[in-house]
Amino acid sequence: MIESIENALQIIVLLICSGIALYRAIANHSQTWVLAFLFFGSWLLGDIYWLVCLLFYGQTPQISIVSDLSWYGSYIFLYLLLYHSSAPDKDSRKHRLPWLGPVFAAGMAVFFITQGELLSNLIYASLMGLLLFAALSRKIDRKRYQNQQFLSGMILLFCLLEYGLWTASCFWKTDTLSNPYYWFDFLLTVSFVFFLPAIKKAVTE
Amino acid sequence: MNYIENSYICLAAPVLLAILCLRGPGRRSLAFVLSGMTVCLLSAYISTFLAGSAGVDLTTASYEISPAVEEIMKSLPLLFYVLVFEPDRGTVIAGALLVAVGFATFENVCFLTSYGTSDLLHLMIRGFGTGAMHVVCGMIIAVSLLYLWDRLRLRIAGTFAVLCLVVTFHAVFNIFVNQAGIVFWIGSLIPLIVILVYLIFIRSRVGMI
Repeated sequence: MIESIENALQIIVLLICSGIALYRAIANHSQTWVLAFLFFGSWLLGDIYWLVCLLFYGQTPQISIVSDLSWYGSYIFLYLLLYHSSAPDKDSRKHRLPWLGPVFAAGMAVFFITQGELLSNLIYASLMGLLLFAALSRKIDRKRYQNQQFLSGMILLFCLLEYGLWTASCFWKTDTLSNPYYWFDFLLTVSFVFFLPAIKKAVTE
Repeated sequence: MNYIENSYICLAAPVLLAILCLRGPGRRSLAFVLSGMTVCLLSAYISTFLAGSAGVDLTTASYEISPAVEEIMKSLPLLFYVLVFEPDRGTVIAGALLVAVGFATFENVCFLTSYGTSDLLHLMIRGFGTGAMHVVCGMIIAVSLLYLWDRLRLRIAGTFAVLCLVVTFHAVFNIFVNQAGIVFWIGSLIPLIVILVYLIFIRSRVGMI
């Protein structure tokens, strides 16, 4: 029940975010906003899929290929959004700190593989590693990527919330609000709202 | 027993003959329609095989396996056409639509042979709904392939991401149309509404197609 309510809340927030992104994409003829719309839209469809499975069949999907695909799509759109709003400079590859992102993702993947599937965890780790690397590169190079600081910070927060969510799901105890899984999911829902000003800042400045 | 390959041969034979006789855009258009029908047949085989391998029933397969298989298969003729012939944008969009039309047509024929033709209203809603859903998915892939990505690396990643998105859209549609009553109606109307919103609000402003 709580999962359905939480999903419904996230769907409403994502519907609003998708609507705003689509409006800005059409009004400004902006490719970045199209990518933002696709990021929100892909996540939204994944959520709708889970919710209707719960509503009509009383269970989450037996084979989670479809919902996984929608979230893979979202991560790729988010990476392309960051990439598109300013192409990374080769100089940023000299820094070592961004490599912490892929290393962290690999370490977490080892843990998640012991708990679940191999292939999907490897894909998630690759995409998360890519996102963390891109966001950290921009965070370090403040002068060059001044307009992307907010967006990079949001992506870092988003990735960490996702890891919090996944880790909490590995230690599932109760289906009540005391379960940290729901706290992370709620924070993830809130984070979608903050993506809008972050993207706007990255596009306009 | 429903032998879909027999239905396929009956439907494909005149189209194939017309392709052999025609030249130019007419031939190309019919080739797209035929490829849509063919990938629909192959998708049915692959989905059934995967459902059997995974040990799920056909209803579960319709929203957990078939959408991924169908959308991947449906994008193959288009990707082949884009990569081999490097055509202009208008032709690719038309191609995506025609592959979707061929796919939806054959899928509807299979549905008719399985469930009969007695309920006109239900069939009409299903026909428009399924047709619209396949057209919407085809259009999303074609438009993103042509307009969103300017570099090869981005095009590959972006096309995969868009494919993920349309698979989920297709799966949600399949869940809705598998239900009875008002849910079936809502599910069938969603892709039609997407097409209407596109035609009324987006096409004139964006001016792409």
